[in-house]
Amino acid sequence: MISLWLETIVPEIALVLLGGVLVLLDAFAPRLRPAFAWITSAGVLMALVIRWSTAAPGPVWEGVLAVDDLGRFLDTYVLVACTLALLMADPYLSRTKARYGEYYGLLLWAAVGAMTMAKANHLLVVFVGLELLSIALYVLNAFHRESILSLEAGWKYLVVGAFSSAVFLFGAALLYGATGTLSLPHLASSPSANGTVAALAAALLASALAFKLALFPFHAWAPDVYQGSPTPVTAFLSVVPKGAALVVLARVVAYLNPQQLTPRWTAALAALAVGSMVLGNLAAIAQRDLKRMLAYSGIAHMGYALVGLVAFGADGVTGVLVYIAAYTFMNIAAFGAVSAFSESEEEPHLINDLAGQGWERPVVSFALSLSMFALAGIPPTVGFVGKFLVFRAAVNAEMVWLAVVGVLASLVSVFYYVRVVYYLYMKPLPKRKPAFSEPWAVKALSVVCVLAMLLLGVFPQALVRLSQQAAEFLGR
Amino acid sequence: MDFLTHPLSTMIFLPGVVGLLLLLVPSRAVSLHRWASLLASLATLALAAVVLHRFNPNLDGFQLTETASWLPSLGISYRVEVDGISILLVLLTALLQPVVFLSSWGSIQDKVKGYVVAMLLLETGVLGAFLATDLFLFYVFWELMLIPMYFIIGVWGGERRIYAAVKFVLFTLAGSLLMLVAILYMAFQYKAQFGVLSFAYSDWLALRLPMAEGFWHSPQMLAFAAFALAFAIKVPVWPLHTWLPDAHTEAPTGGSIILAGVLLKLGTYGLLRFNRALFPEAWAKAQGLFITLAVIAIVYGALVSWAQKDMKRLVAFSSVSHMGFIILGMFAGGVTATQGALLQMINHGLSTGALFLLVGVIYDRRHTRMIEDYGGLAAVMPVYTGTFLLATLASIGLPGLNGFVGEFLILLGTYQTRPLAAALGATGVILGAVYMLSLVQRVFWNALTHEENRSLAEITWRELASFAPLAVLMVWIGVYPTTFLSLSEKAVQKLIGG
Repeated sequence: MISLWLETIVPEIALVLLGGVLVLLDAFAPRLRPAFAWITSAGVLMALVIRWSTAAPGPVWEGVLAVDDLGRFLDTYVLVACTLALLMADPYLSRTKARYGEYYGLLLWAAVGAMTMAKANHLLVVFVGLELLSIALYVLNAFHRESILSLEAGWKYLVVGAFSSAVFLFGAALLYGATGTLSLPHLASSPSANGTVAALAAALLASALAFKLALFPFHAWAPDVYQGSPTPVTAFLSVVPKGAALVVLARVVAYLNPQQLTPRWTAALAALAVGSMVLGNLAAIAQRDLKRMLAYSGIAHMGYALVGLVAFGADGVTGVLVYIAAYTFMNIAAFGAVSAFSESEEEPHLINDLAGQGWERPVVSFALSLSMFALAGIPPTVGFVGKFLVFRAAVNAEMVWLAVVGVLASLVSVFYYVRVVYYLYMKPLPKRKPAFSEPWAVKALSVVCVLAMLLLGVFPQALVRLSQQAAEFLGR
Repeated sequence: MDFLTHPLSTMIFLPGVVGLLLLLVPSRAVSLHRWASLLASLATLALAAVVLHRFNPNLDGFQLTETASWLPSLGISYRVEVDGISILLVLLTALLQPVVFLSSWGSIQDKVKGYVVAMLLLETGVLGAFLATDLFLFYVFWELMLIPMYFIIGVWGGERRIYAAVKFVLFTLAGSLLMLVAILYMAFQYKAQFGVLSFAYSDWLALRLPMAEGFWHSPQMLAFAAFALAFAIKVPVWPLHTWLPDAHTEAPTGGSIILAGVLLKLGTYGLLRFNRALFPEAWAKAQGLFITLAVIAIVYGALVSWAQKDMKRLVAFSSVSHMGFIILGMFAGGVTATQGALLQMINHGLSTGALFLLVGVIYDRRHTRMIEDYGGLAAVMPVYTGTFLLATLASIGLPGLNGFVGEFLILLGTYQTRPLAAALGATGVILGAVYMLSLVQRVFWNALTHEENRSLAEITWRELASFAPLAVLMVWIGVYPTTFLSLSEKAVQKLIGG
């Protein structure tokens, strides 16, 4: 008997409708365009409030949707990331003359897709969320219709995305053939969930998610897509789908991981993690474009986060959740700075062009350098807390070697992160002065991210508690 | 002063908080930045004096403990306390910081705000690292020093500053990241043996990691190595010293003073505090290796110093030699040698700090550090020559000045257990006199060949004021070291005995 648990998905419903309203407003009341960002932000914050003011009842709708602590954590994560990306978007879009309602509508739908993925307890629901997220993002990537790079980004993400969706569906189909169910809790109790077919299916599902996470060796699309997409979209793309995919992976691992599969899973995931950390960091050293560098650094960071999933258990998942929360603030601060420093979308975002900006544009530069140190995992930033927790989980799971590989990889990463700071503060300013000043919305974004990186770095207890609660629900 | 309920935490965070507040003040207000930072460092010194006043040297354990809940769900707490080993180093740090601000008054003209903020944050990191007794907290403070120092070298440094700054960061991190893994490992070993997760140093003293045949099979050896690598890079122990000459030479005067005076001591402090106490069996096994490296460092550092043409580089390499003495004293064993090593940490901070300070004085006037650009300065700057001579004599260990006491105790203690190492180490004292006196000869006594040196201005009152406290302490320790040795005696006895 299906009860109508509509009240549990009020935030999602509201955001989908708001997205539609914005698209219509763009057509019928284009004068309102400057207000779109504020309307959207207000809607997102409202959704956040509603999510936290209603209880988390656990599995609803015959158990296909898990509105639990983990889901709530991820919703918060998605909505906060969405707000930050919006702060960055408005000045950027008005500067590049692309302030259309579709942008905000698509962003909201993508967010709802990610929220659906995060709460899905059934592989088909995961798929619905995944597609909603991906299709919205294909359009957003190509939002600069005149820019060849942006079109290339959209096209690449479409091809890779469609391919990974197909792989995901194929995996789900195999799993259904092997076990007769796609509901994750049912899979856990299914006796045939350990057979060869099920293992193959799990491998396919993991590969599809690894595409979304841009893990080595499924990462090749990331640098081009990051570089070509409008910067606020890149910021969104670099955090929201990753968090959602990691949580889906965590749920799949948790339910599909009866004793027999453990060693194989662990080995495969560890290989992905090590490959991503090593390749991401080494390739990032060679980059001269800031956005491409951040793409490779993102590959490495998903490798670190995956260390938490390899270790698994409540500790590991706590680590992953803290890690993605930390990663959001660091990465969005960095992309915010990129969006403030680039004068037009045609120009490459060269690291060289940052020379001397540190003393010219103090607020954004401070945020950018702090985010670099945070990404490098240097205390007292939140980046250190995240790394500490995932490596802690690895040591706890008696995989000291994985932690050692992780810290060595992050040592390599320090080299290229510190180089950005070097250009900002230690290179003389070139003759050419910046054409426009820092938009105040980006300044505000920088301040928010700086405070978050420092406060959560010095007082991580609240974030850790929240993540532990979310992970308890899952890690049995 | 009863109202001061948390003297240690107040002392640790005062500079950092003032630094963060100054960040909000516009950079035009140069004088405000200078005065505020100087006053903040003086206030920190006053707090250090309060700590010294409340410190009871007759207790051998930690005292003035201040704790707070921090990350209870992970077994991490905020815990700072002081004992006989850290008190002297805290005093040294608090003393050198005002000296740095005074010495930078004239030499740092560009981006003053950034400089004082970085220095104040650095002081918080250093004091915190000396006082933290929760290993997680220690690690946070330890790494906190990295970013300010990167900026100090990279922004206000000499010509090759970028190379030096990046090298400094990468070397330091290479060591400390492995230490982080070892810290995590220790915490879980503690949980395995005692049932609860803890990062507290005093808890870990009860933990004995297993030893086994072969390095790779022995957890205690591996953990020892991870900690030792972090600290050995910081000291630096030969052959890990290659970052030091670059960083010391390229850093601005204030940066060099803090780097040589305090940051290097964190390495030796860490070895003594953590490696010695937490891994006694591994320590015993590593003694021979470290004593050999120390002797090599003493002789090698001295010989390389002798060959330098750049004054700052000469002083930098002399640090390699002097730090070798400290390592020798610590690893040689007994109470005498360890006490000597502790005292020598202070001495090195004072005399090398003073030397960098004084080199900075003529660098500000002539903008060259090359020895050949000077000569005959004694006739032009007699007072300056006197101060430099005092610092030189303190550095080479003239009886009656501080360096002698430390080196004597180290060699005395070492001779009892390792006579050969003591004999070889003693050659370092002779070589020290050779390269330092030849520096003085070439800079101050030879003929005045460069015309531009004739008009050099004499050392100013401000520069003299920054040198004065160091000079007083050099003589004090040289004449009556008991004042300082008695502070650490009980703690060292406990460490060596237990």
